[in-house]
Amino acid sequence: MTAEAADLVLRALADPTRRTMLRLVRSQELPAGQIATHFPITQQAVSQHLQVLHRAGLVGERREGTRRLYLLRPDALGPVRALLDDLWPDALDRLKRIVEEDKRSRS
Amino acid sequence: MTPDLVVTTTIEASPQEVFPYLVQPDLLVRWLGSWVDVDPQPGGVFAADLGQTLVRGSYVAVDPPHRVVFTWGIPGNQELPAGSSTVEIVLRPEGDATLVELTHRDVPVDRHADHRQGWTNLLGVLASILRE
Repeated sequence: MTAEAADLVLRALADPTRRTMLRLVRSQELPAGQIATHFPITQQAVSQHLQVLHRAGLVGERREGTRRLYLLRPDALGPVRALLDDLWPDALDRLKRIVEEDKRSRS
Repeated sequence: MTPDLVVTTTIEASPQEVFPYLVQPDLLVRWLGSWVDVDPQPGGVFAADLGQTLVRGSYVAVDPPHRVVFTWGIPGNQELPAGSSTVEIVLRPEGDATLVELTHRDVPVDRHADHRQGWTNLLGVLASILRE
């Protein structure tokens, strides 16, 4: 489990604009310029959002001439799922070990 | 976290012996994370640093020695905001041992009160992004 990777993904998903972007590129690869037409923000702001998604691994980025194309990478959601899936089993294992060790050392 | 996440373990100690580890900061910190700040009474704070993730919520129920409920979330994270899910830990005697059952579930959000409606369940969000 990489908590850092999970954190990057969670931060990337925290913004509604970025979530909408993910939906746009869910099943088709789109150039940044076309993604930008869906939002009332500057091209530069759109690029920044796409970079956040890219750093989190949520979208793949491909250059084609002067264009940059983006496509959802659902695998990036894995660390988040793993973070939540592993958390409690690991924690309860530690709880069990510590309670039983403490009890043995008292007796 | 849909459906509910349920994790169980059996500890060779009585519920009376296990319970303090769910509410006392000096005992909680030894198994839960690197730092905790808790006030174990309904409405009291529950905060912990799980290594690299800070979680925050509040205690909902503290019934020694059988049950603790607290809310749980990641501050500043819209998918799983502080207090957006609930963790219930139930201790049941089983001979000389204790069966520990931990259930982590989402809190339904009042749709009228919260503009984040539909975005509070992390895995629901992920599923919706992939499905729509």
